[in-house]
Amino acid sequence: MGDGNRGLSGNSNSNHSNNNKPEWLQQYDLIGKIGEGTYGLVFLARTKTPNNRGKAIAIKKFKQSKDGDGVSPTAIREIMLLREISHENVVRLVNVHINHTDMSLYLAFDYAEHDLYEIIRHHRDKVNHGINQYTIKTLLWQLLNGLNYLHSNWIIHRDLKPSNILVMGDVEEPGVVKIADFGLARIYQAPLKSLSENGVVVTIWYRAPELLLGAKHYTSAVDMWAVGCIFAELLTLKPLFQGAEVKATQNPFQLDQLDKIFKVLGHPTVEKWPTLSNLPHWHQDLQHIQGHKYDNTALYSVVHLSPKCPAYDLLSKMLEYDPRKRITAAQALEHEYFRMEPLPGRNALVPNSQGEKVVNYPTRPVDTTTDFEGTTSLQPSQPVSSGNAGSMSGAHVGINRSVPRPMLNMPRMQPQGLAAYNLASQAGMGGGMNPGGIPMQRGVAAQAHHQQQLRRKDTGMGMTGYPPQQKSRRF
Amino acid sequence: MASNFWTSSHYEQLLEQEEVDVVLPLDKEKGITLEDFKLIKMHMANYISKLAQQVKVRQRVVATAVTYMRRVYTRKTMSEYDPRLVAPTCLYLASKAEESTVQAKLLVFYIRKLYSDEKYRYEIKDILEMEMKILEALNYYLVIYHPYRSLSQLLQDAGLNEINMTQQTWGIVNDTYKMDLALVHPPHLIALACIYIASVLRDKDTTAWFEELRVDMNVVKNISMEILDFYENHKMHSEERFNAALSKLPARA
Repeated sequence: MGDGNRGLSGNSNSNHSNNNKPEWLQQYDLIGKIGEGTYGLVFLARTKTPNNRGKAIAIKKFKQSKDGDGVSPTAIREIMLLREISHENVVRLVNVHINHTDMSLYLAFDYAEHDLYEIIRHHRDKVNHGINQYTIKTLLWQLLNGLNYLHSNWIIHRDLKPSNILVMGDVEEPGVVKIADFGLARIYQAPLKSLSENGVVVTIWYRAPELLLGAKHYTSAVDMWAVGCIFAELLTLKPLFQGAEVKATQNPFQLDQLDKIFKVLGHPTVEKWPTLSNLPHWHQDLQHIQGHKYDNTALYSVVHLSPKCPAYDLLSKMLEYDPRKRITAAQALEHEYFRMEPLPGRNALVPNSQGEKVVNYPTRPVDTTTDFEGTTSLQPSQPVSSGNAGSMSGAHVGINRSVPRPMLNMPRMQPQGLAAYNLASQAGMGGGMNPGGIPMQRGVAAQAHHQQQLRRKDTGMGMTGYPPQQKSRRF
Repeated sequence: MASNFWTSSHYEQLLEQEEVDVVLPLDKEKGITLEDFKLIKMHMANYISKLAQQVKVRQRVVATAVTYMRRVYTRKTMSEYDPRLVAPTCLYLASKAEESTVQAKLLVFYIRKLYSDEKYRYEIKDILEMEMKILEALNYYLVIYHPYRSLSQLLQDAGLNEINMTQQTWGIVNDTYKMDLALVHPPHLIALACIYIASVLRDKDTTAWFEELRVDMNVVKNISMEILDFYENHKMHSEERFNAALSKLPARA
């Protein structure tokens, strides 16, 4: 802890092995690790090439799959989609690299300093006010704009959640939204297998009701449901439907998640959603699923909106039960909400109207002790094991604060009155129950109920916007 | 983009026939002629097809695999990228891209079953290494469009969607992968050429329908001619000639 040499030793370590490294790797300076998931690791690096010197790049390294089956199909899917698409609000794949000696695959993306998970968390835990209306509207508009592009190209994302919605922090595109993580995305024009055969997807809190009820062939409407959930979360800083996940079986029936939805939106009916009766789980557990009757829609009070305002109207159309009636991305972009003041802009983080506070969002924590091989040059003072999530995160925060990271910190504006927010930060941190399904790895699942510890853990580990961080949700 | 062929990497990657019909210097040194080159690719397309039947993947996976293989050989030599390894590996990669993943060990099992020849014998490790090399050779462009998708639509539009006509056209489309057509022409034009040939063979008058289409009929006719030429010369593509061509390549290390 507090070891200022850690960053340097991490760097010198990677420099040392530069000679053995393939040429492509030598075009980057490794800064450190910014994320970890089942697929592998994510690193922050900077380009050394003269025309782009110092440009921040996020490098996602895919492990060889353990089952001896080469490049993971997830990586293949992500590469093949990203190679075809190009849009301002979709993350840009800069390069793909292969290291033949250890058979690892690297995807290089434009680096995004922020993501909605971190932005929401910052407001919830560190700042005692909500996200301003301009920022919410701009984030939502750009998210829909990117999604409209994907959907009109027959691509369903399938795993939208706050941590997958990135926001650029650089000078070229500050405050621009980028949809990321296409590992579960797919082209749906001519599926060879029914969608559900590839494993149930989408983090449970953002999962559409038709999926929860066992729909086999789903559509781009599942992404719109997720956008609705994210919209509500931007408004309230709390996940809208925080169901407890059933992990036991391969295709679990998520009764609790459905119940959370029904409580807020009322019970779905066959009158309003005619194809409901075709969904497998609707019949599966009649007593529970059709037994409770929640009649009153409480959505507007949950999100603190007037039931007559355009924001509420848009939100309720995104959270329409019947996927065929649910608003599309294209329709949503045309909604009245986006035509009234404040109008959405290009930089979501800096309101163009005066008098609005500019919130200074923290930069992503970087673990500078890990090199591209994933080898840690200096162990954190606490061993990585179950039961000490708090100290783990302490180590990470320590790295973040004590190691000089001049390049990372340079472009930031001076925080204005941030100290004042910090003072209040310990107060209003409700709903810290692992938002975004951020990792239960490192054996802390048992403590999931323990908000204080989990919140601190998130400080250290909820740092990647890139990958879905779940261990077990893919299958 | 995924839905629009005209903005896809597939469209951008289309080549001229002259660019496809190039035997790279290293292969030339080994004595590989243009005829040999084509013959080996054709047999490797058959190999992929046979292997696919064993592991039970659909025709679209075969078509993607064959297109990968043909693209690889516009950039890499057969001397360095042994076709006997590239072919199964392309099927392996295509099965992932088309979401019908086949295990490498299953492929290795069926390779042994199909070929007793030592030269075809590759292990899982070889396939996994080659998979990465192929990804690189393809420059990571993996989305491939095929004529199959437009086929049924076009047949229906032409009022030719009875079973015999559909089967015949489908068969001709399958055969186009024995040539390099997919590297040169957009898939819907290949589909039209196949419909054209099938309608001639089955004595269907499609002149009026073709005239109404806003496509370059010269291209469609050229593709048709090439397919017919291929059928004409098919008898010359004997196993012996193929083996003679393949034997010019160096034995693997």
